[in-house]
Amino acid sequence: MPAPLLQTTAVAKAFGPVVALRAVDLSVAPGEVHALLGANGAGKSTLVKILTGVLRNDGGTVAVGGEPVVLASPTESRAKGLAPVYQDPALIRDLTVEQNLRLTGVDPALVRRELAEMDLDGLDLDEQVRDIPLPFLRMLDLARALAFDPQLLLLDEITAALPPDLSERVFAITRRMKQRDRSVLFISHRLAEVREHCDMCTVLRDGRDVASFHPGEGGEAQIVAAMLGEASAAVRDVARERRAARARTGDAPRLVVRDLLIDRQDAGVSFEVQAGEVLGMAALEGQGQDRLFEILSGNVRAAGGEILVDGRPLRARHPYDAIRRGVVLVPSNRLMALLPQRPIRENIAVPLFNRISRWGPINMGRERRQVQEAVTRLSIDTRAAAQARHLSGGNQQKLTIGRWLAAGFRTLLLFDPTRGIDVGTKHQIYDLVRELADGGAAIVLFTSELREIALVCDRVAVLHNGAVVAEMPPTASESDLLTAAHGLEVTAV
Amino acid sequence: MSNAPRAVAATPLPQPSSRANRFRRRQGWLVGVAVLLGILVFWRYSQIPAFGPFEIRGIVAGTMTLALLAMAQTVIVISGGIDLSVGAMMVLANCIAARLMLDQDLGPVVLIALGVVAVAMLLSGLIGLVAVVSGVPDIVVTLAASFILAGLALVVLEGPGGGTHPRFQELMVGGFDQPLPSLLWLAGVLLLVWVPFKRSRLGIATYAVGSDRAAAFLSGVRVGRTRVVAYVLAGFFSGMAGVVTTAFTGSGEPRASIGATATLTSVAAVVLGGVALMGGSGTLLGPVLAAFCLSLIPPLMLGLGWDPNYAEVARGVIIIVVVMIGGLVQVPRRSR
Amino acid sequence: MSTVTAEPAVRDWRQTLVERPAIALTGVLVVLYLVTATQAPGMLTLNGVRSTLLLACPLAVLAASQTLCMLTGGIDLSTVMTANFAAYVAANQSGRGPVVALGLALLVGAAVGTVNGIGVGVFKVNPLIMTLGMASVLLGVVTVGLVGDGFLSGSTRLLPVLRTVASGTLVGPVPNNMVVWALLAAALIFGLARTGLGRSIYAVGDNPVACRLAGVRIWQVLFAVYLMSALLAALAGLLFSGISGSVGPDQTNAYLLPSVAAAVIGGTSILGGVGGYTGTILGALILTVLNRLLLALDTTEAFRQILYGLIVLALAWVYVRVTGQRGSE
Repeated sequence: MPAPLLQTTAVAKAFGPVVALRAVDLSVAPGEVHALLGANGAGKSTLVKILTGVLRNDGGTVAVGGEPVVLASPTESRAKGLAPVYQDPALIRDLTVEQNLRLTGVDPALVRRELAEMDLDGLDLDEQVRDIPLPFLRMLDLARALAFDPQLLLLDEITAALPPDLSERVFAITRRMKQRDRSVLFISHRLAEVREHCDMCTVLRDGRDVASFHPGEGGEAQIVAAMLGEASAAVRDVARERRAARARTGDAPRLVVRDLLIDRQDAGVSFEVQAGEVLGMAALEGQGQDRLFEILSGNVRAAGGEILVDGRPLRARHPYDAIRRGVVLVPSNRLMALLPQRPIRENIAVPLFNRISRWGPINMGRERRQVQEAVTRLSIDTRAAAQARHLSGGNQQKLTIGRWLAAGFRTLLLFDPTRGIDVGTKHQIYDLVRELADGGAAIVLFTSELREIALVCDRVAVLHNGAVVAEMPPTASESDLLTAAHGLEVTAV
Repeated sequence: MSNAPRAVAATPLPQPSSRANRFRRRQGWLVGVAVLLGILVFWRYSQIPAFGPFEIRGIVAGTMTLALLAMAQTVIVISGGIDLSVGAMMVLANCIAARLMLDQDLGPVVLIALGVVAVAMLLSGLIGLVAVVSGVPDIVVTLAASFILAGLALVVLEGPGGGTHPRFQELMVGGFDQPLPSLLWLAGVLLLVWVPFKRSRLGIATYAVGSDRAAAFLSGVRVGRTRVVAYVLAGFFSGMAGVVTTAFTGSGEPRASIGATATLTSVAAVVLGGVALMGGSGTLLGPVLAAFCLSLIPPLMLGLGWDPNYAEVARGVIIIVVVMIGGLVQVPRRSR
Repeated sequence: MSTVTAEPAVRDWRQTLVERPAIALTGVLVVLYLVTATQAPGMLTLNGVRSTLLLACPLAVLAASQTLCMLTGGIDLSTVMTANFAAYVAANQSGRGPVVALGLALLVGAAVGTVNGIGVGVFKVNPLIMTLGMASVLLGVVTVGLVGDGFLSGSTRLLPVLRTVASGTLVGPVPNNMVVWALLAAALIFGLARTGLGRSIYAVGDNPVACRLAGVRIWQVLFAVYLMSALLAALAGLLFSGISGSVGPDQTNAYLLPSVAAAVIGGTSILGGVGGYTGTILGALILTVLNRLLLALDTTEAFRQILYGLIVLALAWVYVRVTGQRGSE
C-alpha cells in the first residue's frame, strides 16, 4: 500500500489554557480529494495553519510522503509540496498581481498558463489587487498555488461566495489533481459539495478527529451527527410548520422598498416585508446585494428610489438614522462588526451609547441585565470573555446578533449570517430568526446558500442585476431559484 | 445534488482600467505636488529681479537636508511604520562628522563622511531590530531612540563646534552660485539608490509589509528582516542628511530641538508628498518635492514683506489645509 | 457552540499582571522610588514626596490628553504649544482678575481643541499631521504675539491663585495641585469606565467601522476627545506656570515626548482600544521619579538623556513582554 501523501499523527496545539487540537490523526492518500469538516472551534483552521507553516504544533508529527517533516514557515511548507489557498487571499492590496507573484517567487508565466486552463486568461495581472473583485482574487490565488505544482492543495472554504461557474472550475481542478495522483484537502461547510466531489472526509470535533469515511455513503445526516456528537440537529422544515400556523394579516407592511436604485441603473429594487415575516433574498455573486443591504441599513445612499419604514420615508445619511427607525444590520463580515479587544459586554452594549444623550454615566445594573439576556438567549460561550477576538467564529457572529437583541429593533437585516459558520450554530441562528419573526420583527435575510431559504423564509425574492426579478415561495426548487438568479425566465411546469 | 442548469452563465471578468484612470489614481497626487512646486518657484522667481544660480543654489542646498530626511521617513512609512528619530540621527551624524573632519585633508574627510553614513545605517538598523524584536510599537521605540541619539550627540560635541574641509563643502553643496552639486546628489540618490531598491524583490516586500503585514507573511516574506532593512536604508538617508548639514554649515550643532523640528517637518513632507501614513504605497519623489515646497514658504513670505514669524503659521495652515483637501480626495479611493 | 473544554485556568502571577497592569506598574514605581532614595535621601521625607507629586502633576495632565487621544488611535502633538499659549494668555490678562484670565486661557484650549476636533473628526485628517500642523500654527502665533508690541507682550505677572494652587501645600506631603489632579483623575477614570462617552472612546479606537454600523457618530466622539485634550493641555500650562513662577514660549516643550511615554508605559496602546488613565498616572510618576534619579546621579546632561531614553525603552519592552500586548498583531 503506497504511503499516504500526508499523514498527521496525534498533532496537538494549545494557546495558553485553550486547547485547539488534542490529538489529530489525518491521512490523505495520493490522488484523493479529502474533505476536512467540523464545527467552528473544532480545530480546522488551526490544523491548516500548522500544515502550512504558520503555526508550530506542540506535539505529534506530520509526515509528507512517508517522511516526517518540520514545517517551520510558509516557505518551508510550500517547499514540501503543500500549497494553501486561504479564504482571504494572501494578496497584498496595494500591489499589482504581478508584484504579488514576484514577492512569492512565482513565475508569472506559469500563473498565466494556469489561468488559461481555467479559462480566465482575460485577467489583467497589472491591475492592483484592490481593484479586482474577491471571487477572481480567489481564482488568482488558486492559480498561484497551482503554479507551484503542489503535491497537496489545501483549499480553505474556497467556494464560499464563489459563483457557480467559478466553483465548477475549482472542481475541475480537483479532478485534474486526482488524475495526476496529487491530492486536495478541501475544507468546506457546504455538505452537498463535499458529498459530490470528495473521496473521503475527516470530521474534527473538540480538537480530535472523530470519524473518517466516504461521504457518499451515509449522507448529510451522518456528517452532521459526527460534527455535533450527541446533540445532532435534525434538518427540519420548520418554515412549513410556521406558515401553516400563522395567518397572514392585512396590516400595512413594515418595510417597503420602491424602485431603489443601487447604482445608476434602469431597473430598481422593489419589495415589501410584513411584520412577523421573513423575506429571503437570493442572488449570485455581485448582483448588488451587498450594496442593497448597505443602503437599507443607512450606511450608503441610494442613487434613487425610496424606502418606507412603517409607512414613513427613510432618508438615512448614517446608520444611526436607520437604527433610530428600528432598522438594524447584521453583516456577514465579522471584522466589520466586532470590537476585537473589548470584552463581550462592551461589544453587545455598543449601540446603547450611540447618541450624545447617552454619553452620561451608565446604569451598570441595567446594562448587565440587558447584556445577560442577549448572552443567554443566544447561548454565547462567555469563557473567553476578556477580548472578543478570542471567541470562535460562531460565537463572534452570535455577538453581532446579540448586540441588536440588547438594543432592540423592529426590522432586522441579516446579510449572509451563517457564512463560514458550523452547522450547529447555523441551526441555532435559524431558530432564532424564526422566533424573532414570531415576536413581530420584519426580517430580510440574504443568504448565499439556497437550501437555507426553505428552512427559514416565508418568501424569496431573487435579485439580479440590481433588481428583483422574481418572487417565489420558499418551496421553490434550487434549480428554479438558480435559473431566476441568472436572470432567466423560470418556465412554469 | 446539482440541479444547476447545464449552461451556467459565466461571471463577467473585471474590466481592466484604462491607462488614463490608472495614471490618475497612482500618480495624481505626485503631479499635483509638482505643479504646486512649479507655481511656488515661479512665484519666487517673480519676486527676485535677478533670479539666477545663486538663488537656485540657495533653495536646493538649503532644502537638501529636509529632502533627505523626508526620504528616510518615507521609507519607514512605506514599510508601515514611523520613525521619530530621523532628526536626531541627522544631528548625531552632523556632530560626529564635524568633530572628526576638523582640520583634516580632503581624503580623510571623504572617508569620514562614508564612515558616518555607515554608522548611521548601523544605528538605525539597530533601532529597527529593537522595534521588531521587542514588539513595542515603533513610534515608542523611535521616540526613546531620539532621546538616546540626542544624548550621544551631546557626548560627541558639547556645544557647537567642529569643522570640515572647504573642498568637501563645495563637493557636497556647491559654491555660492553652483546649484548643480546639490541637485546631482539628490537626483543621484533617488535614481541610483531608491529606484533599484523599489524594483527589487526586497523593495516590493517592503511595500507588502506596509500594506498588509499578515498577508506578506503568508506570502513568504521575512517580515522582520524586511522592516529592519527599511530602517537601515532610512539610516543611509538620515546619515547623509547629517553629512550634508556639516558640509552646508561647516560645523556641528548638537541642539536637540533641531532634531525634533526636523523630524516633525519630515513627517509633514511625507504626508504632503502623497505617501499614505498607513503604509504600503507612495514613492520618494513626492515627499522630496513637498520638502522643496515647504522650504520655499519662508523666503516667499519675506518677499511679500510679511513678518517671517508668520512663515511658521503659514506652514502649519498649509499643511492642515492640504491634508484636509487630500483627505476628501482620497476617501473615495480608500473605501473601495 | 464551541465545546472545547479548557483546563481550569490557573491564575498564575502572569495572568494577574496581564489583567491588572497597575500592579506591575506600582511595583516598578516603588522600586524606582527606593533606588532614587538611595541617591537622594531627601526623597523619603514628606517634602521629598511632596515635590515629586508637585512635579509629576503637569506631566500627568499632559499625559491625560495623550491617553484620551491614543485610546481613539490618535495622538495630540499640539498639547505643549496649547499649554504655553494658555499660560501666556492667563499671565497677560491677569490684571483683569482670575475669572477672566483663566476663562480666556481655557478658551484658548477650547479653540485649539475645536479646530483639531473638526480636522480629525470631520475631515478625517490623520491626527499626527493635524496636531502637528496645529503646533506649527500655535508656535507661529505665539512667536508673532511676543515680538515687539504684539498681543502677548503685555504683563507676565502670574495670577496669585495660580501660584497658590500650583505650588502651595495642602497638608504635609500633599501639594495643592494634587486636589486639581485628584479631581481630574477621578473624573477621567470614572468617565472612561462608566460613561457612554467613555465606552464610545474605546469602541472608536478598537474598530471604527463597527461603531458606524452600530450607529455611533464617530466624528462626535473624536471631536469630544480632541476638545478635552486641548482643554487639559491648557490646564497643564496654567499649572506649570504656577510651579515655575513664570511664563515662557517653550516652557512645557520638554514634556511632550514624556507625556506620550507616560501613557505608553501605563498601558495605553498607541493603536487604540486598550488602556486607561490609571496606568498613565503611574507612568507619569515613574517618569518623574526617573528624572529625579538621573539628576541625582552625578553625570552630564548628555548621559542623563541617554539613560532616560534607554530606561523608557526598557520599561516599554518589559511591559509588552509581560502583558503580551504586542504593537503589531
